[in-house]
Amino acid sequence: MIEGFRLGVFSRGTTLWDGLDFAFGDAAAWFVTGPPSSGKTLLLSILRGERRPDAGDVVVSGESLYRGNAALARAWRASCGHVPEQTIADARLTVGDLFRRSALAGGGVRESERKYRTDRLLEMVGLPGALGWRVAELSISERGRACLAAELLRGPKVLFCDCLVAGAGVLFWEMLWGLFRALAREGNTVILAERRIPERWALAAGNPEPVGPFRVYRLPDPAAEVKGEPG
Amino acid sequence: MSERPSLWWIDWRLSRGPLVQETIGRFLFFCLLGFALLSLLLSGGVSRILADRYAITAMLRAEVPSSEGEGLARKAAALPPVRSATYRDPEAAWEEFLRAYPGLGPVRGAGENPLPGYIEIRIRPDRLTGADVDLVVSSLRSVPLIEHVLAGEVWLPRLLRAGRLASRACWGIFGAFLACFFLVGRLQERARAVALAGDFSFLAERGVPSGRLAFFRAAGAAVSGFLLAAAGTAAGGGALFLFLRMFPFLEGVVGPPSDLLLPRTVAAAALFSCGAALLSAAASVLGWRAARPGRK
Repeated sequence: MIEGFRLGVFSRGTTLWDGLDFAFGDAAAWFVTGPPSSGKTLLLSILRGERRPDAGDVVVSGESLYRGNAALARAWRASCGHVPEQTIADARLTVGDLFRRSALAGGGVRESERKYRTDRLLEMVGLPGALGWRVAELSISERGRACLAAELLRGPKVLFCDCLVAGAGVLFWEMLWGLFRALAREGNTVILAERRIPERWALAAGNPEPVGPFRVYRLPDPAAEVKGEPG
Repeated sequence: MSERPSLWWIDWRLSRGPLVQETIGRFLFFCLLGFALLSLLLSGGVSRILADRYAITAMLRAEVPSSEGEGLARKAAALPPVRSATYRDPEAAWEEFLRAYPGLGPVRGAGENPLPGYIEIRIRPDRLTGADVDLVVSSLRSVPLIEHVLAGEVWLPRLLRAGRLASRACWGIFGAFLACFFLVGRLQERARAVALAGDFSFLAERGVPSGRLAFFRAAGAAVSGFLLAAAGTAAGGGALFLFLRMFPFLEGVVGPPSDLLLPRTVAAAALFSCGAALLSAAASVLGWRAARPGRK
């Protein structure tokens, strides 16, 4: 369980938001929408333990990320995956480098296993044979999917994606929809931040919970969907 | 997956191309430095040149027989600072005199040799100091069979001082090259840390502590620095060995090739490799500090 208590952020000389409470349950896919410049990226970095909130705290499985043990916060970050909206710094790399680096962060992935999983993941995100492609030459959609596949290589317990769905494009929404729910079914938590949610996803997710400038949806898990229950 | 990622050779894992170029450049530089270091160690700066040209002459009394002169030379050769002590009997001394001053043959007159026998003593290059020369001279002067000891006491201190200055200048130039290596290495490490800043941020965001990254980078730099310095010094030593075999006259300046394998030479090369490892690690840490993640 990832909980944000009374979160507040002071940015650009003003209070962006204050007193927000979040609760993201385990083994589920969550969708946070908000208008441009509402602080979605900031919210994700706070939840990941990267940026200390100006007010409030984030508690993961009962442990404070910012007021607790630094080693626990590091362990939490190590268990997270993150697909950023911008990948300018990675422009010099190839897709293969993204996987190599991700494996390095995970540690101890055998070379043969890494190659096998890399091929399968690239195929899954619609980029078969892209290992030698330079990131600089990829489209926004391809970059996002390549980064997603590289993060999945480590098998993160919690996956944060920043504007991935919008960047990936309509053609890949079905694939992402299936992927996120499959991850949730396997016990992982996925938190997506987007400007807007695809209409079909919103219908399936039911009513969102409004939190400040954000709307928080929980995507239905496949079992619930079969039974026709709301998420 | 193991809990902690292995960060050994992380630069190699993240950026192989530039690192290979740097490594080749460093190896060549260490070859040059190794060549210079071994040349300096063997020659002792300019000590070997000076020792080759400096000799103490002990003039024996006229009545000293050759057998006693030779015995005395053997005793002189046993003194620690002495490299060689050679006895010349009066006839050999006279022939040398005539070679040096041709035309002075009539001085001998009716056939009596006016020159006494003498012992020529040469000092070891590493013991050519005022104190060691004094030790030898005082030992010789205490022997009753010796009439005079010519050791150039008037000009020797100035010569030794000049020799010391020249040696320090040689070592200073070597030190300057080593400092250049450190500065260039620091710039290279910094440039690499800047180029890999995105990757280091990536790892830091995923729970890899920056301190561990810096430590393993420095440790990798130290190990590679040691190995490169050892390999470069060995290659430089091999080149020096070939040079000395091809041009034997250089032995008078540098020393015999066999000295390359003396324990003290090997120990000095190992010490140099350790120093290079420390400098490499320091350059890595300083380069990291200049471009560590978080500095945007």
